[in-house]
Amino acid sequence: MQCIVCHASKNFIVFRKTNKEREIMDDQLGALTVIFTEFYYWVTVVLMFLIHVGFCMYEVGASRYKHHQHTLMKNTMVIPLVTVTWFFFGWWIYWAFPTGPGIAPSIMNDSTALITDESTFSAKWYVANTEFMAVNLGDRISGVFWAAFLLFSWTAASIVSGAIIERITTFAFGILAIAIGSCFWVIDAAWGWHFDGWMLKILGYHDAYASGVIHAIAGGFALGVLIVLGPRIGKFSSSGEPRNIGPRNPWLVTVGLFLIYTGFWGFYAACNIPIFDLGPEYGMEGVTYWTATNIYVTPTTLSGITYNFLMSLSGGLLAGYVVAKGDPFWTYSSGLAGIICASAGNDLYHPIQAMLIGAIGVVVAYKMHYWVERKFKIDDAVGAVAVHGYAGVVGLIICGFVLNGYPASGYNVGAMWDGSTYASINPLGQFLGAIIMFGVLGMLPGYVIARILSAFGKLRIPREVEIAGLDYEIMEDDREAEKAVASSTR
Amino acid sequence: MATVTNWIDHLSAKEVVGAVYPGAGSTETLLVILGVVFWIGWHVITARSESEKLSRLARKRHGANDHKSNITDW
Repeated sequence: MQCIVCHASKNFIVFRKTNKEREIMDDQLGALTVIFTEFYYWVTVVLMFLIHVGFCMYEVGASRYKHHQHTLMKNTMVIPLVTVTWFFFGWWIYWAFPTGPGIAPSIMNDSTALITDESTFSAKWYVANTEFMAVNLGDRISGVFWAAFLLFSWTAASIVSGAIIERITTFAFGILAIAIGSCFWVIDAAWGWHFDGWMLKILGYHDAYASGVIHAIAGGFALGVLIVLGPRIGKFSSSGEPRNIGPRNPWLVTVGLFLIYTGFWGFYAACNIPIFDLGPEYGMEGVTYWTATNIYVTPTTLSGITYNFLMSLSGGLLAGYVVAKGDPFWTYSSGLAGIICASAGNDLYHPIQAMLIGAIGVVVAYKMHYWVERKFKIDDAVGAVAVHGYAGVVGLIICGFVLNGYPASGYNVGAMWDGSTYASINPLGQFLGAIIMFGVLGMLPGYVIARILSAFGKLRIPREVEIAGLDYEIMEDDREAEKAVASSTR
Repeated sequence: MATVTNWIDHLSAKEVVGAVYPGAGSTETLLVILGVVFWIGWHVITARSESEKLSRLARKRHGANDHKSNITDW
């Protein structure tokens, strides 16, 4: 098998051999390409930071007054915990695991083992103690690319955070955040997002803007945790009827969701490669074709995905407004769910397709949320499992039908189950992919880790604390301090 | 500790060394070990303090509305 990537990597985004990049940067145009790419990803990282700001505001707005500060700090600590573990091992997993291992051979070295050899895109270059995980004049891209993926990781952990507010310990959430943010989501990214991923080859999996790779897995993980964690006290009546514990500050929720929308623009851009010559990359002799590509290195345009982002947002909002009867909490969340549902194929959809797909995803997610709540007594405090999980799964399945027959990759188009070539996008592959994302890598690990934490008594806060409020002592101290201040005369 | 002491010499070399942080090529593994100890240590310290805090608060058995008396006078 020809290893196209190795032969034609000269202009790809990651240059880790010091003088290889220097060769490319010898002329001004080459230098501009590299530095533009570096700056492009850096901007996406800054934009995506707003996703986390939005999640923090959203969660505080959704929680009750006596839990506010702990709710905020729990999600804030996602930032350092996932970042350091992403540095130590998360990033390595992404580059090591595309083959499974043991499922499909890499197009770089023909091996099904973990990719840790001298290949151009080997995990060897991303062990935490290599010189490339630092300021390196010969590698201007790895750091910003690492950070872009890191921000995806925060998002995965933050999605879980919202569902479990007001009753989980910060310790347990830290462990769960690391598990989803620096381990399980990145395994699925290696399998279904990496250009060399086995799911592309065997299943023809396609998920350009992460309906499954981020959202379905995080929603599934949250559901697995919720099954073990149980509902908030008072959520269900003695007869099992669910009670509404609505957002305590709907305006903070509103601003939070607008910020998440804003950061989502950065997320979309970060999933692209901004400038790339596909001629040599695909081994087309004498052909030069500069374009933006999606994460699979197949062509798309920033302009096109902007159409689709906005139209799927609109489809989600329109459908959400109808099904939720104008409820702002669900209408805003539905805008997000609309984008999430269409994201798998938003690199290729027509904008009206994107809008309709977004609308369908919202209806399914909304109905599923209330059905699961009633049937299984699952208390998903912010609807995260629905907005991210169910909408993501529906989006993957729809993508299999709408993009049926498109190549999952630009390299070596072949048949499903072959493994050494890339299958075309198809409904069955997408359906199996959705099960892997939501169930195998999401719900199952979430459930198992939560069970282990629960067995050690570390998962849920004591009942008395949940009733009193996690912030009780802080508020009590503040009151005393305020009394002292109020009685002061000098 | 300085990896670079003269930028002109450094950048005009036939093979420019990319890693320019202090201790390049000799301290990375030690730094990773220190980082992991810091990270694990944080979990140990915060887990312990959280357990103590939750146990203390649980013993007081406050009611669901008791926190309202703690809201400061605006």
